[in-house]
Formats: sequence, C-alpha cells, structure tokens
Amino acid sequence: MPWKLLLRNVLRHPIRALLTSGSVAVAVFLMCVLDAAYRGLDTAVAEASKTRLWVQSAVSLFVDLPESYQTKIESVPGVKDVVRFQWFGGIYQDPSNFFAQFGVDPAKWAATYPEVQLVEGTLSDWEKGRTNCIIGKDLANRFGWRVGDRVPLIGTIFARVDGSVWDFTIAGIYESKSVNVDQGTMFFHFEYLRETLEQGAVQGPSGVGVYLTSLQPGQDASAVIANIEQMFENGPQRVRATTEAEFQRQFVTMLGSVPTLLLSIGGGVLFAIFFAVLNTVLMAARERTRDVGILKALGFGNGTIGGLLLVEAVLLCAIGGAFGAGLALAGNRGLWSVFNNFIPGFSIHGAVALSGLLLSIAIGLLAGALPALRMRSIAPVTALRMEA
Amino acid sequence: MAVAIEIRSVSKTYHRGGEALRVLDELDLQMDASTFYALMGPSGSGKTTLLNLVGGLDHADSGQVVVGDIDLTDLDGSGLARWRAEHCGFVFQGFNLLPVLSARENVELPLLLSPLSKRQRREQAERALELVGLQDRMDHKPRELSGGQEQRVAIARAIATDPAVILADEPTGDLDRTTADAVLELLQRLNRELQKTILMVTHDPQAASYADKVIHLDKGKLGRIDDNRHAAKGN
Ligand SMILES: Nc1ncnc2c1ncn2[C@@H]1O[C@H](COP(=O)(O)OP(=O)(O)OP(=O)(O)O)[C@@H](O)[C@H]1O
Ligand SMILES: [Mg+2]
Repeated sequence: MPWKLLLRNVLRHPIRALLTSGSVAVAVFLMCVLDAAYRGLDTAVAEASKTRLWVQSAVSLFVDLPESYQTKIESVPGVKDVVRFQWFGGIYQDPSNFFAQFGVDPAKWAATYPEVQLVEGTLSDWEKGRTNCIIGKDLANRFGWRVGDRVPLIGTIFARVDGSVWDFTIAGIYESKSVNVDQGTMFFHFEYLRETLEQGAVQGPSGVGVYLTSLQPGQDASAVIANIEQMFENGPQRVRATTEAEFQRQFVTMLGSVPTLLLSIGGGVLFAIFFAVLNTVLMAARERTRDVGILKALGFGNGTIGGLLLVEAVLLCAIGGAFGAGLALAGNRGLWSVFNNFIPGFSIHGAVALSGLLLSIAIGLLAGALPALRMRSIAPVTALRMEA
Repeated sequence: MAVAIEIRSVSKTYHRGGEALRVLDELDLQMDASTFYALMGPSGSGKTTLLNLVGGLDHADSGQVVVGDIDLTDLDGSGLARWRAEHCGFVFQGFNLLPVLSARENVELPLLLSPLSKRQRREQAERALELVGLQDRMDHKPRELSGGQEQRVAIARAIATDPAVILADEPTGDLDRTTADAVLELLQRLNRELQKTILMVTHDPQAASYADKVIHLDKGKLGRIDDNRHAAKGN
C-alpha cells in the first residue's frame, strides 16, 4: 500500500477533509450527548426509591385530595410517615426564572429523604418560622441567595386576594445525593399555605396534591399499595398509590416520546452524515480517475487501488469520530453542569463514545465501499482516457 | 536480431450504440528487440489501441500478443498488472504524473511493487532522474514543472524498473519543437545506450525521424514499414 500517496490524497483538499471530518465529529459528539440525556432520564426512573410511595388522586395528579386522608393513610399497617406535598407554582419576578416550589411537612419530609442533607442552616432553623424555607444548592448559586435572604414569589395557583406577593425566608441550603431530588428546588411549610388559605387571604384549591408515604423497613410495597387504594375505594375520592420509581416513570412517559425523539434525531444526523461522506469520497474518486488509470498502468493491483479510497474514507471518518468522542468525554463535566438541572444523572458514557467511534469507522467503510469498488473494476484504458 | 514483440492475427472490435467498429483487423506484426519504432497513421487508425494491447492494458478479441517470451493473451487482469509492473514502461501524451507526489516520489511509485528496500528505491529513482537530466528538480511537484520536464519525469518513471519495453503514446504531442526534440533525443539515447525496445505513437514525421523504423497503420491494417537506418545509409 503506497501510504505516502494515501496521506497526500487525504490532504489534497484540506478544507474539504476538515469539513468532512468535522461533520462526523459533530455527529458523534451529538450522539454521545443525546445518549447521556436519554440515559439520565432513564436512571432517574431506575434509581427511584421503592420504599417511598406517592399517593395521589386516581383521577389525575392535578386533582387534590382531602386533608383528612393523612391520618387515614398513616393508619395503614406498614406505613411509617405520611408527608403532605403540594405544588406551589409561584413566579420569582419573571416566568423565565422558573424553579419548582413545594409545600411539605418539614420534619417528616426530612426523615423521608435521608439522601438530602442541609449544608447550611438546620431543620430546627427551618421549623422556627412559618415563612421559612430551604433551597437547593444549585438554586442558591443561580440567584446568589444566602441564608437569611427573602424570596418574594408571585402566586399563580395560590394568588393573594390583595395582590401582594408571598414572602419566604431562606433558613437552609441543602445538597442532594439522590437523582430524585434535584438541587434546584424550594421546600417550605405546607402549614403556611394551609393557614393562609383558611384565613381567606389567598384563593386556591385546598387539599393536598400528593401524600408522600414512607414505608417501614422491610415492608412489601405492593401490599401497602393495595391496602391504601382499597381504603378509599368508595370515596369520597379514590386514590392511586405508586412507588416513587413508578411515579418518576410516569413523568418520563409524560415527556412521551422524548427519548425516542432523541434517538431518532441522533439516527437521522448519522444518516445525513453518511451521505455527506459518501459525496466527498465519490467526488474524490471522480477527480482521481486519471490517477487510478496511471496506477493501473504501472501495475498496481485492483485491491490496492480500491483499498486506497476505502482507507481514505475510513481515515477521514475515524479522525472525526475520535475527535467528537474525545470532545464529549473531555467536556463531560461542563455538559453535566448545563444539563444536570433538568436531566439528573446526565453523564457521557465511555462505551457510547467508543461505539460512536466504531460507528464513524463503519460509515467510512460503507461510504468508501462504493467508489472503491467502482475504481477497482474500472478498466485501465477507460480510466486513462479520463481527462485529469 | 531477437524478436521482442510479436502480434499474430490480432483483431479488436469496439461496440458503440449497436454499431461494431473493427479497429484492428487480423493484424500481423513483428518487432525486433532493442529497436526504436515509431507508429504513425491517421487519427482513429488504431494506434493507441495497438499500443494498449502490447502494453497489456487491454485484451485482444482474437489472435496473440507475445512480448518477450510471454503470451499476454494467456494472462488475466491481475496477471497482466504484475507483468506490466515488471516488463513495461509507459509514457502518455500528458498528465502522466500523480499531482500530489514529487518528481522523485512519482518515479519511485512503480518501484514500490518491486522487492527493493526503501533506500534502494530512492537511489534508483534518483539515478533515473539524473539520467533524464532532472537531478535538481527531484522535490518539485508536477505543477511546478514545465511540460517537457513532466515528460522527462514520466520517462524516468518508465525506465525506473528497468523494463525491456517502453511504450509512448504521443509523448511530444503537447510540447513545442525544441522541448520535443530534447525528449526525443532522450528516448533515442535510452534505445542506443540501454538497448530498450521502444514503441512510440506519433503524428509528427520529424518525431518519427528519431526512430529506427516507422510502422504505418491505416484502418486497422498494416501499411509499409520504413527503415530510417537504411535511408540514412543510402544518403
Ligand atoms: N473504448 C472504446 N469504445 C469505443 N470505441 C473506441 C474505444 N476506444 C477507441 N475507440 C475507437 O476506435 C478507433 C481507434 O481508436 P484509437 O484510439 O486506437 O485511434 P488512434 O489511432 O490512437 O487515434 P488518434 O491518433 O486520434 O489518437 C477510434 O475510432 C476510436 O473512436
Ligand atoms: Mg491515440
């Protein structure tokens, strides 16, 4: 194999080579990122706790349950704690500043989520004041908030009658080791919300969105689920109880075909890249027909002549693929900090980067095969007659 | 004198759009070893076709082409390729060289198919380039060479593997008179000093005058063969 010739051919049109390699690099990089996003969504489901149940209305997540249910659920054998959990949906200054807020029972909630640790402030600090709240570390960084800061929120679901804002005071900042609790959320006293509603200072649905139910150790979740659901079989409101894992999956299903979409975008991009590479190699083969004629006249075998084009295509793709995969792996940390907020557990996988590289080699082989076969079988006299 | 090339009753027909064009018609021809032949004839008379058959670049429909002691009609595609690499050098009218390689690398190219070491290949390529007078142009790319220099590099490449036969298809067709004469003198020297058998297609009677013998081809049939050496003696 005349390697020097091969290398010179690759570099014959540096810009074209760069663009071709670059497009493969972008595709492989994208593939790694899409896969990490897809996997992140999946991990959230898989790692969700099986010792926590989410009890919600059987009708929909957006229908609230009566408050009386708390003690009733607590009486079911195997249940340890029941935490009231309500989506608040407030706006901080502008809707684009979106972050999630939940009203909970602080002590019970903290006991239910041992993976969540306060790094500033304590549980009793939080409990001290009705308007106190805790926020995740990422949220604190995002707005530069510190303990003691006040956070005014405009109520949407729970709008104040006099049009004023809700005032919360940051009493603690938490870190989470669980992919199920992100670090960008605010938790405040459910009681505060309930009282304000009761006083009539606020309009909005009374009741509880979800009862977070923790199980006693070693409890079989399915038996407890059956008992809870049976308890409210005859109303006033039927409930649906699911493990946290199941609950998370429901969200991924709500995102619907997002994972499939991600994968088909990746597939589509690779398909398009294949044609771009094929086009480059066909162009290269065409402009080198005369060269091929000369090589054949000099006595080079058809295998060598086809091999030159094939290896060139593989080389272009492999370099691009390696670059894209390398970039994805090297950029893992940076990407994580961008995506972790909405895709917990986002991480580029080495195996996927490797298969991206292999895939780009396969694209090179496929794209190189056609022109290689063509140049292999062209008669020497035909190739020589071609004008350079 | 030994016979170098023997064409026995060779026919070649091209088919184009349902029409058959008989380019060579039961042609018989013998060429002596170590002789410089010019092949002349009107355009379309089959000169290139004949040259390609002798060089094993194409197959005859019938008849035999024997070069040295090998019957090319017995060889398949890869057999012919191997034979070309060892026994035959080519010079075409233009665009002989691979544009991405330097003069030296172009001349080295056919040597890659020989068992020579890297160093031997380099030395042999440099020797061939010195022979054609291009020792100071070895690292130039084809586009940095003049047309005449390009043809001399092509000739250097044709002799690099030291084949017995050199085939040239209008090697001076694109060159001006002076440059053409230099190239023709070079071919003549290869014949006289290295005993190469040369078959050169040309339209130019003055180019043909450098050859020992001039073969005339007309409509696929052999015409007369002039012997320049006798003519020279007769003067
Ligand atoms: N591959 C081919 N397919 C069809 N016809 C061909 C092919 N190659 C050559 N011919 C035809 O065969 C005839 C002889 O061609 P050839 O190239 O041998 O002529 P030539 O004597 O070299 O002419 P010129 O002096 O113009 O180079 C021409 O009419 C040409 O058109
Ligand atoms: Mg011709």
